[in-house]
Amino acid sequence: MRAMGAFAAILRKDLRLELRSGQSTVALFALSLLILVVLVFTLSPDPANRAEASAGALWVAMVFAGMLGATRALLAENENGCMRALATSPIDPAMLYAAKLAAAFIFMTVAEGAAVILVVLFFNLEFGPELLRLAPPVVLGTLGFSALATLLAAISGRTRAGDLLLPLLAVPMFVPALIAGVKASAAALSGAELSAMTRWLGVLVAFDVLFVTLGGLLFEHVIGED
Amino acid sequence: MMTAPVVETHALGKSFGETPVLRDVNLKLYAGRAAILIGGNGAGKSTLLRILAGLGRPTTGRVTIFGEDSLSLSHQNRRRIGMLSHQSWLYPNLTAGENLEFYATLYGVAHPEAVADRWLDRVGLLSFRRERVRAFSRGMEQRLSLARAVLAQPMLLLLDEPFAALDPDGVAIVGGMVREQVERGCAVVMTAHGPTAVEGLELEAYSVVRGRLAPYGGERRGGRLRSIPGR
Amino acid sequence: MAASSSRGSAVNPSGAKKARGVPALAPWLGVATLALMVASLFMVFEYVPTEAEQGIVQRIFYFHVPCAWVAFAAFGLVAISGAFYLWLGDQIWDDLGYASAEIGMVFCTLVLITGSLWAKPIWGAWWTWDSRLTTTFILWLLYGGYLMLRAMADDTPEVARFGAVVGIVAALDVPVIIVSVRLWRTIHPAVLVTRQGGHGLEDPRMVATLLVATVAFTVMFAWLLMLRFAQLRLRTRMKELRRQLALAEASAGDL
Repeated sequence: MRAMGAFAAILRKDLRLELRSGQSTVALFALSLLILVVLVFTLSPDPANRAEASAGALWVAMVFAGMLGATRALLAENENGCMRALATSPIDPAMLYAAKLAAAFIFMTVAEGAAVILVVLFFNLEFGPELLRLAPPVVLGTLGFSALATLLAAISGRTRAGDLLLPLLAVPMFVPALIAGVKASAAALSGAELSAMTRWLGVLVAFDVLFVTLGGLLFEHVIGED
Repeated sequence: MMTAPVVETHALGKSFGETPVLRDVNLKLYAGRAAILIGGNGAGKSTLLRILAGLGRPTTGRVTIFGEDSLSLSHQNRRRIGMLSHQSWLYPNLTAGENLEFYATLYGVAHPEAVADRWLDRVGLLSFRRERVRAFSRGMEQRLSLARAVLAQPMLLLLDEPFAALDPDGVAIVGGMVREQVERGCAVVMTAHGPTAVEGLELEAYSVVRGRLAPYGGERRGGRLRSIPGR
Repeated sequence: MAASSSRGSAVNPSGAKKARGVPALAPWLGVATLALMVASLFMVFEYVPTEAEQGIVQRIFYFHVPCAWVAFAAFGLVAISGAFYLWLGDQIWDDLGYASAEIGMVFCTLVLITGSLWAKPIWGAWWTWDSRLTTTFILWLLYGGYLMLRAMADDTPEVARFGAVVGIVAALDVPVIIVSVRLWRTIHPAVLVTRQGGHGLEDPRMVATLLVATVAFTVMFAWLLMLRFAQLRLRTRMKELRRQLALAEASAGDL
């Protein structure tokens, strides 16, 4: 029970800090906006494959904006050495990981809600209930990405290379979720049957289960010091 | 005394890469006792405190805290360690009150708000409860950080230069708090650049020179500090 | 000077003492590699019959597949040694994992190059997003990331732990990558290629050649791994000796 209390305390603290500075969500949204603009210029969307192009754009924005923005809550712990305070505290590293993962997930989900609206505007899609069909792949992909990025940012944040290393490690690992997420999103936007999405959602669920579990098990090894 | 020591290091050695930082450190401290490690910058004091807090691994030798290996401390025992580090371990964008409440919750302390208030009052910062820590001076940050270290009633308190950056009022407050903790039965290990004394408290003093620990002032003086020399 | 090290201690002086340079077995493995390689070359060029559909190019298959096998085995070994390192904290496991990752990367690169050489005459392009090639390419990127981590970070027990974590996570990600890439290719509109090179080894001589080549590459892997691992062990031992020397110098300075 106390473990849950510590989880809630860390998450509440991160949300409070985020409400005060807005740095993660604003950074995520601003980067997504810029990436989408670049993609519109480079892709020159053809109406025939609009669903695929817009799904692709959404995921490119998510991955690259997420790389820089999603793990701010984790890296904020480096200020004033707070990570050491957490490492000496009686909290379970798995709980710390879960709290940081939850914070990254929330910030990314909020920013992606806004990014979806931009995608609809930029790619001339229709606002309507079918947009809700995007929710399962986007939410599952975001969860997997947050799980992966939280674990890897704890590593890259403590090396000389820093931010440079995170994409080098994270992008190849994220490939399965990326493939599945783009395909499922494209199916959702093109109005295909739900059955066209299920196998992709299966891949996403497997990816999420794997990385959340691994992150929880291995996090203690990446926060420990020598 | 038959009780086990709170802190015991056996031939503790620590190197970063090739560089030796601590060498053959044997330290033993019982509950209700306070030790002071006196040494210059880079002597290894902070590294020793960090290892005692479980934040670093000994290269050689062994460290036991509450009778447990420092590398595999149980949650229960980790809860009983409080540490004041060089860095404040405070969130600059949270208020003083929020910082203390956060750590109180993390340590499973009952009634976090009341506990935070009590300790803010004790370190003379109650009127700054709603101020963000970002605006604090170094001395205020230090006092708040000490409140953070003691709010869960630790049985081992590790203080890295607790009197640095403090004004005379601050020194009195921090000295008083350290004494209270020792009287409560807590074991305290602190560091300082030069001989320091805490009013009404007998300190087991050690000098730390290039990673080695020796009784302060040599065996002749018995390594005890009672009053502030030269003051 | 007491040098007792507790379980889980990241720097293990007693472990460092085990390093004794290149093992006596290594030259024999080198000789075996040479012999087996000559044998495989002979079988590939002289013994095995030419495959009916693809012609002479298909012979690259007998090097391509063993390289892939070795790359997979090497990356698996990275993960296994990573797990042991996190569990036991002995530097020996990190040395093994690091050596294995480097050699695995060499073979993974060979898979991509031989695959590309094979693809050009058969599929008419140097590169196609065939599911196996794609999977191998992702693997190459994954372990490229691992090696970048090791190259960009200092050589500390901390970074060794990071390497172990990345090695474990990457290996467990591989099955998900394989499944997703396969689904991606099968669902994708058929730009491609139903014909899969490597199937239909109807002739027993083909099976024999593949077998000999696989053994040859596996022995070569063991040989290279042994050499690199021995070298890393010596490096670890040298660092430990330097540490002890610095310690002795510091103690001498006390007098």
